[in-house]
Amino acid sequence: MANTQTAEVNAGGTTTRAHLPSNKDMWVFVLGDLVIFSSYFIIFEIYRHQQRQTFLSAQQHLSLSIGVVNTLVLLASSWFVAQSVQLTRAGEYERAMRLTVGGGLCGVVFILLKAYEWSTKIGHGLTFGSNDFFMFYYMLTGVHLFHVALGLVFLGVVFFELRNPKLRRVSMVETGATYWHMVDLLWVVIFALMYVMR
Amino acid sequence: MDLRPQWISLWLLPFFGAILLVVFVAFPGFLPPMSPQMTADQVAQFYAQNTTMIRFSMIVFNLCAIMMIPFFMVIVVQIKRMSLPSHVLAYSYLAAAATGATLFAIADIFWLIAAYRPGRDPQLILLLNDMAWLIFIAPVGAFVVQNLCLALAVYLDTRPQPIFPRWVAYFSVLTAVAMTPAACAVIFKSGPLAWDGAISFWLRIGAFAINIAVMFFVVRGAISRQAAEQAVETESPATVTDAEVTR
Amino acid sequence: MSAVSAAPVVTENARPAWTRRPKIDQWICWWTIPIFYNLFGLIFVVLTRVMPPPRPDITPEQIVAFFETHSLTIRIGFALLMFFIGFASVANGLIALQIKRMSVSPVFAYAYIGALVVGGLPGCLLPAFAFVAGAFRPDRDPQIMVMLYDWCLLSFVGSLGCFCTQNMVLALAIFLDKNDILPKWLAYMSIWMIVTELLASPVFIFKSGPLAWNGSISFYVGTAVFVVWEFAIIRLLYVAIKNQSPTEQIQD
Repeated sequence: MANTQTAEVNAGGTTTRAHLPSNKDMWVFVLGDLVIFSSYFIIFEIYRHQQRQTFLSAQQHLSLSIGVVNTLVLLASSWFVAQSVQLTRAGEYERAMRLTVGGGLCGVVFILLKAYEWSTKIGHGLTFGSNDFFMFYYMLTGVHLFHVALGLVFLGVVFFELRNPKLRRVSMVETGATYWHMVDLLWVVIFALMYVMR
Repeated sequence: MDLRPQWISLWLLPFFGAILLVVFVAFPGFLPPMSPQMTADQVAQFYAQNTTMIRFSMIVFNLCAIMMIPFFMVIVVQIKRMSLPSHVLAYSYLAAAATGATLFAIADIFWLIAAYRPGRDPQLILLLNDMAWLIFIAPVGAFVVQNLCLALAVYLDTRPQPIFPRWVAYFSVLTAVAMTPAACAVIFKSGPLAWDGAISFWLRIGAFAINIAVMFFVVRGAISRQAAEQAVETESPATVTDAEVTR
Repeated sequence: MSAVSAAPVVTENARPAWTRRPKIDQWICWWTIPIFYNLFGLIFVVLTRVMPPPRPDITPEQIVAFFETHSLTIRIGFALLMFFIGFASVANGLIALQIKRMSVSPVFAYAYIGALVVGGLPGCLLPAFAFVAGAFRPDRDPQIMVMLYDWCLLSFVGSLGCFCTQNMVLALAIFLDKNDILPKWLAYMSIWMIVTELLASPVFIFKSGPLAWNGSISFYVGTAVFVVWEFAIIRLLYVAIKNQSPTEQIQD
């Protein structure tokens, strides 16, 4: 780990050697997380298949517009984070930091929108125990929200390391970006499954 | 290093141990031990007739029993002084001691809850009584593992002058073996392995009591030797500088 | 000037060769872990029928019948647990020691021990006692039998904050560690353990479905993640101990 760090810093942030972005540890996390989430999605589909009508009518209560906005917000944040990786590789640390913050702020907006969405649903009496659809809704979006919050922590670490010239590493920014893209991907699937697909 | 915390923790044991012995005898359900075969009504009647003494003895039991924790922590500190490859056994001992003490405290609370409202449904009092007894007698694993960790540590200690004499290892294993069968108290309602039986009650509690009594003297010896070693160390640097000065 | 000692000096050849193997105390502790978990499987799966759990949504009569049918194996299984649960302390001590080898303050090592001392009781032993009480006297009032049934399975499967704390301090210690004692991917797996712990919270709400105590998500996926994590940590501890220099100084 230490050797790759010095190699990257000495080379001015760019490496000509082809390498898998971030390190293998984050990929273990991402792939495992995707497997675990896939099991949740499969279970959701099984229950949906068994209760087509309930799920279909419950789904009407979801606000498609908030869902779309949230999706766009996360996609934008992924774009910011991807840009910050490029900039870090090019050695432009100041701009990379700003874009990381931008990505993080989008994450905060996502959380606030989600909180608003939940509160309106609860206000309408649609709670965790209302029916199976809403049970899955709160569960999947809740676990996803935990991942977003964790992502904000990771982005925060990326930001603090970029600020300190002695700590700057491309691999760290890549690691944070990999995780953040996974969070985005998971949301797209959740959005498709819960909001869109009928 | 100031050894007074160790001395204090050591002497807490006989002080509170004596109180524990008194309330052990005072608790109406220990001598002789209540039988698991008592019916709900018999159990309810027992609590109704002995309410005050049950409450008094169990409150004191609970207050005093955890006072043994500092003593066990002295043993943790002494294990750390041994010449062992690492401190892992000290940490395992600590974790086991904390677990065992918590179980003891929980058992006491169940006795106290059972005694709180004598008019409670006898079925509920029976359940609370069962819980108290089972938790008091059966989960021997914590104290057993404590002793096994200590035994291994003593056995592996490569100090020229070991912290604890070698026989403590065998004694600890013996204690562990004597207490282990009491785990079967969850199986039987009668016989020597039931919670009131010769093995699960008398042997188990007797082994525990003898163990801490013996360990009191063992630990006392260890702290004394530690104090003596420290006294010699503080003398030695002084003689070295004197020698340098005279040279 | 040697210290004057009153106790007898023990000569080296008084003790057998195995006691002089490097890191022998850690190796002995390590071996208790796979043995313990195999016994855990025997106890909870085969004997006491807690894993996989029986359903929450059965009638009181069925619950009483469950206790009557399995009374003996429940009692035998948990008698074994009463003894073997002690060895969980050994595993915790070992992991705590490895955390102390990391380049950070030992706070997380002690927090790890603390969190799991808490966990052993509501997470393992108290559920056992609830089932034992049911198996010990299946002739109790059926309402009480239902309560004991609920008590065991809710406490055992349901979420417990101590396990979140345990996994969090382990993950943090690994992330901050510059000595690479344990690989970073174990830290990420510990985050999964936190997620599955959170997903065990709904068991206190639902009596059927994927988020009940026998649910596909709360129990089965959660247990699968736990098994993977446990295999990983057993293997990683082995590697960590093997690679540890016998003369390494660990912070006190």
